[in-house]
Order: sequence, then structure tokens, then C-alpha cells
Amino acid sequence: MLKRVGALAVVTCKEGIRDRSLFGILLFALFVLGLNVAVAGFFMRDLGKVTVDMNLAALSFAGLLLVFFIGINLMAKDIDKKTIHLVLSKPFSRGEYIYGKYLGLVLLVVCTLALLLVFSTTTVAGVNAMYPEYFGGFSWSVYFWAVAFIGVQLALLCAIVVFFSAITTSSFITLVFSVATYLVGVSIEEVLFYLKSQAAAGEVAASETLRAVLEIVAWLVPNFSAFDLKTEAAHGLALEPVRLLTSAGYGLGYVLILLWLATLIFRRREFN
Amino acid sequence: MAEIVIDSLYKKYKPGLLKKPVQAVDGLSLKVPAGTVYGLVGPNGAGKSTTIRMLLNLIRPDRGEVRIDAQQVISGGFLHQVGYLPENPYLYDHLSLRELLRFAGQACDMSAQQIRERIETLTHQTGISHALKRRLRTFSKGMRQRAGLCFALLHDPQLVVLDEPMSGLDPLGRKMVCELILDLKHQGKTVFFCSHILSDTERLCDRIAILHHGRLVREFEADDLRAFRNKERSLEDEFVAAVGGGN
Repeated sequence: MLKRVGALAVVTCKEGIRDRSLFGILLFALFVLGLNVAVAGFFMRDLGKVTVDMNLAALSFAGLLLVFFIGINLMAKDIDKKTIHLVLSKPFSRGEYIYGKYLGLVLLVVCTLALLLVFSTTTVAGVNAMYPEYFGGFSWSVYFWAVAFIGVQLALLCAIVVFFSAITTSSFITLVFSVATYLVGVSIEEVLFYLKSQAAAGEVAASETLRAVLEIVAWLVPNFSAFDLKTEAAHGLALEPVRLLTSAGYGLGYVLILLWLATLIFRRREFN
Repeated sequence: MAEIVIDSLYKKYKPGLLKKPVQAVDGLSLKVPAGTVYGLVGPNGAGKSTTIRMLLNLIRPDRGEVRIDAQQVISGGFLHQVGYLPENPYLYDHLSLRELLRFAGQACDMSAQQIRERIETLTHQTGISHALKRRLRTFSKGMRQRAGLCFALLHDPQLVVLDEPMSGLDPLGRKMVCELILDLKHQGKTVFFCSHILSDTERLCDRIAILHHGRLVREFEADDLRAFRNKERSLEDEFVAAVGGGN
């Protein structure tokens, strides 16, 4: 079983790495990193914070593009073009197919992030060397943790893509649902916080029903802000091991649930 | 050796909310004895590909069952002994032929040595050994078909299911596929295939069935095939008579 899942993961990752769109995404990320070095001197203060923020944002955005455009294609193209007929004619169970595809996507994300991290580290180190006075509180370990959690966030997003690919018949619908889930997941915490604080201050009259619906949505949709360590990395704030463990466990839990559901649905699916 | 039994198989497709359901397979029953070459012919939309997909458990019948060696295909445990070539196979574009075939071998739990040997044999047999390092996206339609055949046969399956194996092939390619099917027959493998090319079907098969509107309308056995080969009767005429001139 592991051999089959591993073989499919490697094939999926290779297909993604050799996709020309990946070069576009990498070039875009490198452009942002280069831009960071070029414009660093224009900032009069908080230069270190801006550099770290910009680097992490570039990695995160490149990862999102990777998952939404290449990742979805890797899973949906198999079904659209009927390559899945060939794969499922081999002794793959439907579950092995789902796990193989997922691990392939994660492997692709890890390889791409690792490459971008090399460039990003060079950029941050370069700006740090040019303007050391602005990097007083900067910590490499917090920076690397922030990148690692971008990886966790993208791994969760890959599971969302696999889940929606398993239940829909079109890659476009998968894209719409995945992007929507991501946007809701990124903003739901802030929306809830805003509603509660404004309601408490008596400025907004939020109905109980709306609040209840939002609470349910917050439970259903993964809270992506749990993996966002940009503020900590930008200010060099210490990270609590408990928070790291909780966030990683939260992400892993969601991934396992999504893959389990995807497998259940995929087992019942027919491939015409 | 693998025997296929298809028993009272029904499958209806629902194309959309406002569209009329299509009865793709309508009470199909047939038996493919182990070690025979069985050809399924029929006009477009006759239900040939649907039957093959139910045989491979890619879709499920509404009623009836398919058994391979007395084991229901729904159990899924039969895939180690099946090799399948779909119609116009779409392979992984960015992989090389060697990578694709290695994947096929790993999926079937073959050792690295076995995979290497089978890759050499099959690519030589299908005439694409020169393209082992080339990406599949650069392959012509005929080469893709040959690559698909290698993918299907890599683990030396007992049952080979081919959906339009001659599709997109030039005369040399067709000859190669015919020789390959005859070779499989001599090895005692069961071959189940569907095709529009009646002359090849007539030449290769031990049994032929004509499918029309999802039903088995005619089945020809050894005596009929002998008559076709001796030009006493024509499969083409029988085919036209059975499907009513395409209506």
C-alpha cells in the first residue's frame, strides 16, 4: 500500500514540478523578493519589519497560486482527461488514490517552498547586512517557524482541494469552492471578533441568528489565521511551544478529517 | 487464466436534470471463457465502453453483476490480474515513458529488476524503445497508444481489457497490436476488447458479440468465425443486419 501511495505521490509531484506555470509562479515570487531589496532603502523606519512581512507574503502568495492553479489541475485533470481510468485499473484502492494525490501535492508545495526559502533567506540576510540597525529584534528561528506554518497552511489547503475535487465534477467548481473556503477561513476570526466587540459596545445590533450562523461557519471552516505567524516574525516575538503544537495539531486534524471524508465520497463515485 | 461472467447487467445514465436518461446497457449477459480472445463490436453508443468500465469497477451497474474468476468485481481484489487500455489514453504529459512504466510496475508491487526487464521487453515489442527517455507530451497519437499498451501489460496480467486498441494507429501499428493480441492468446491470456475494425476483430477473436442499444444482439462462435475467414459469410453483412443499418 505504501509503495503504491508513494509512487503516485512522486508521479504527481513530478507532474507539478514540470508544469510550466510553476516557473511563472517562481518568477513572480523572485520578482517580489528582488523588489524588496530594491525598495528597502526607501523605508525610513521599520525596514526590518517590512522586509520580513514582504518576504513571508511573497512565499505565502506563491504557495496559494501553486495550490489553486497547479494543485487543482493535478487532481482535476486526472478526472477530466480520464487518466484516472488508467490509474484505477492498477491495484489502487480509491483511498490510496486520494492519499497518493494529496501527498504528491504536499511534496510539490514543500519542494517549491524550500526553493523559495533559499532565495528569501538570502534576501532577508542581504537587507539585514545592509541595514543592521533595523533588525534589532529579528530572530531567524521565528522567521523559519513562520515559513513552516505557511507550509502547514498550504498542506491544509491541499486537503481542501483534494476534498472538493473528490466531490465535484469540474475543476472550476473545485477552484471556486477552495478559494471561497480559504477566504472565509482567513477572515472568519476577524469577522467574529468585530461582531462581538461591536455588539458588546452597542454599536452594531447583530442578530443572534447571524452570530449563531457565523459560529457554525467558524467551526466548519478551518481558521487559517491560526497558522499566521507574520506578526511574530516581523517583530521577533517569542513563540510559545504550546501555540505551535496546538496550531500544528489543529491543521493535522483538519487534514485527516478532510481526507477521510474525501475517501468516503470517492469510493462511491463513478468515472464515466 | 481468467474467466469473465457478465450476468443481466443494466446501466442507465442520467445526463442532467432536464435530460432524458440513457439506457447504456440493457440486460447484457455474456461469458468470456479463460484463455479466449473475445471481441465486442457495435455502433457508437452501443454500450461497449460502459460495459468495460463496469468490468473494471469504474462505474457500478444498476442491476446485475460482473465476475472475474467467480469473484465479483465490486470487491476490487481482481485488479492485480487485469491490464486495461482505455480508448485514446491520456497519459501523464510531463513524465517520460520510462517513468510512466516504472509507476505502473510500482503500482503492481513489482521489484525494480522485474520492472526493468518488462520495460525492455514491452517497449521493444511495441517499437517504442527509442523513446524511453522522451516526455509523453511529445508522443504522437500512435505512440501514446503503444505507451498505453505497455502500461496495461507491464505486470503481465492474466486478463487484458482493450478499448479500441487500434484507434489512431497506422497499418504498421495495427499489425503490431494484432501480433501482440495473438501473442497474448498463445500465452493463454484472456483478452476482452472492443473495436470498430471488423476485419481485425474477425481475424483475432475466438468469439465475437454484437452489442446494440446496450443489448447483446448476436454472438458468433468458432463455426461462424470459420465461415467468415473462409469468406462463406461476411461479418460486415451480419453486423449491418444485426444493428438494422445503424437504426
